[in-house]
Amino acid sequence: MSTEFESVDPVGEEVVGNLARTALFAALMGGFAYVSFPNPFAPGIPVTLQVLGVFLAGIMLGPLWGGFSLVVYLVAGAVGVPVFASGATGLGTLLGPTGGYLLSYPVAAAAVGLVVHRGPTLRSLGDTSTALLVGGMVLGTLVVYGGGVLGLVVFGGYGFAGAVSAGVVAFLPAEGLKIAAAVGIVRSDAITAA
Amino acid sequence: MQRPRLDPRTKLALQAALAVAAFEHTTPRGLAVTTALVGVAVLAVGVSPVGLLRPYVVLLPFLVAGPLFAVVRLRPPWLVLGDAVTPALAGYRTVVLVTAGALYVRTTPVRESEAAIQRLLPGRVGRLLGIAVGLVFRFLPLVRRELSATRNAMRVRLGTEQPVHERISRLLIGTLTRTLRRADRLGLALRARCLSWNPTLPEIRFSWVDAPGLLVAAALVAWTVL
Repeated sequence: MSTEFESVDPVGEEVVGNLARTALFAALMGGFAYVSFPNPFAPGIPVTLQVLGVFLAGIMLGPLWGGFSLVVYLVAGAVGVPVFASGATGLGTLLGPTGGYLLSYPVAAAAVGLVVHRGPTLRSLGDTSTALLVGGMVLGTLVVYGGGVLGLVVFGGYGFAGAVSAGVVAFLPAEGLKIAAAVGIVRSDAITAA
Repeated sequence: MQRPRLDPRTKLALQAALAVAAFEHTTPRGLAVTTALVGVAVLAVGVSPVGLLRPYVVLLPFLVAGPLFAVVRLRPPWLVLGDAVTPALAGYRTVVLVTAGALYVRTTPVRESEAAIQRLLPGRVGRLLGIAVGLVFRFLPLVRRELSATRNAMRVRLGTEQPVHERISRLLIGTLTRTLRRADRLGLALRARCLSWNPTLPEIRFSWVDAPGLLVAAALVAWTVL
């Protein structure tokens, strides 16, 4: 073990609390990669919870820590923690055809957080209107799918029309379900009290 | 005697240089060079490429769809096979890069990566990122077990009969409440153990075996830039 001969510089209380939430949200995102539900709009394509996790990170942790939580998630996946779908890991996954979606997650979480909390600092969710919640998540969805299409073009060699057909059309309808679920979650008494 | 091993920072540099070179030289000749380099690494590590790539089958539909979408036209001549070349090369590049990433993962314990992150990224952001990645590694199995137990409990109570968005809400309300409570306990435990900005990291050290690795990385970057 290496030894550092200097006095201990403790991490502040607020940062420790945020760090614990950030890390556990990133772990939760990893858990979501393995959970899927049947899709009522397109039976062959299951509904996965990762984009919902991105929304919730922005809503519950705010733009800064929410965005950082998704950075942690990506770095964890890049160094080998099996947090991406099917246990795929490594830097190569981020540079593959689906890498655009993954790389957009931190930006999307920050965007959702910025809209929902009307700025970089956390506000009580009780004061946030449902329209603002939905608006934030619609913006987050646009960022994720914009990143996804860009990734298919840059990493996958797709043409723009092909990228939209393969990467958006089939998946987009299920996002409405996730937004509805997220509103239900945020408005539930259990989450408001936590 | 223990076999000499590459420092994780060298492996990260090699991966980054390989990615830069593969993107710049997405041609049959360029990809032959990057494939040869990754092939040598696979042989040196002594793993089966099939076993190594099995988890990445999930990417296959996207790799196949790229060339398919490129060749199909909605009017005559219906198929333009020549247009499949660019997405097919991009797809193959993905296979090369994914193999390199999988090799890194196979040969590097997360604890070493954590130390590499904290050394490579300067200041407090690197420290926080390193600690958080370590925590994700520790808590992921627990989170997965809990999600699966909750889903089983919902299934046996006929939860599968409910609309999908209600099932998702129900699953996540319990999971999020537990996560937030656990985060509070974890925060308290970290403070009780005096989490510091200057922790003792596991030792990672450059050795003579890193010299050829770093040279290859430099050569790849030079090949890209020059």
